[in-house]
Amino acid sequence: MLNCKEASQLASRAQDEELQFWQKMALKLHLLLCRSCAHFTQQLNFIRKASLHAGKHHHFRLTTEAKQQILQALKKKQSS
Amino acid sequence: MSDDNVPQAAAWLEEYGDYLFSFALLKVKDIHRAEDLVQETLLAAITAEKTFSNQSSIRTWLTGILKHKIIDHFRRQDKEVMIGDLIDPDDTDNLDKFFTTNGKWIDRPVAFISPESAIQQTEFLEVFQQCVANLKPKQAEVFLAKEIHGMSSEEICKDLTLSPTNVWVLMHRARLALSNCLKNHWVD
Repeated sequence: MLNCKEASQLASRAQDEELQFWQKMALKLHLLLCRSCAHFTQQLNFIRKASLHAGKHHHFRLTTEAKQQILQALKKKQSS
Repeated sequence: MSDDNVPQAAAWLEEYGDYLFSFALLKVKDIHRAEDLVQETLLAAITAEKTFSNQSSIRTWLTGILKHKIIDHFRRQDKEVMIGDLIDPDDTDNLDKFFTTNGKWIDRPVAFISPESAIQQTEFLEVFQQCVANLKPKQAEVFLAKEIHGMSSEEICKDLTLSPTNVWVLMHRARLALSNCLKNHWVD
């Protein structure tokens, strides 16, 4: 039987790669019995969606204007 | 200085600009300062291209220049910032603050009450950004590259000379810390 520390590691790993068959089964069983780890798994999915959204947002991206300004500065350097 | 490097730097801006910007923003927390730092980094990169060693990727090299620009920025503000605040090679954080010795949660995860549509809110993005900024430096770097800028694990391993196991351990710690941070700071 997995403990929560191990189950949460597998849940996290499952976000990035395909688990082995026995790992999947062990995780599934744990999640059926453990509400805390089921919540953690929901949070992992939430964080993934939030990251995807954030990556398109100006908190994590240069605006077109900022890019233009930087390009201008680079060109100015070229001509100086 | 070679003028030929300017189109090169423009290509770097296109390819790595967003990553560099978001990296800088996590540290300096000011959009215009972060934009300036990206500009300074690329300008320095044009003149310093000969220091680029083929062993590191362009992104790692540019990030290295940026880190020094960030340190200069804090020095100008008389804030003491050690390179260790930006780079922590052994990342000593462990899982003990999350789990008991027999592997039980210390602080049990709860369901997030807000609907997923909440991630569209600016308030949420601000908290999320703050939580990413609060991660240990290496965790933040890997999380930013992988989850927010969509780089592959292989790319990250190569860029940061990490093993695949290192990457997923860092990712797991980052996710634990983020879920904790969101729970504590985002009350919707």
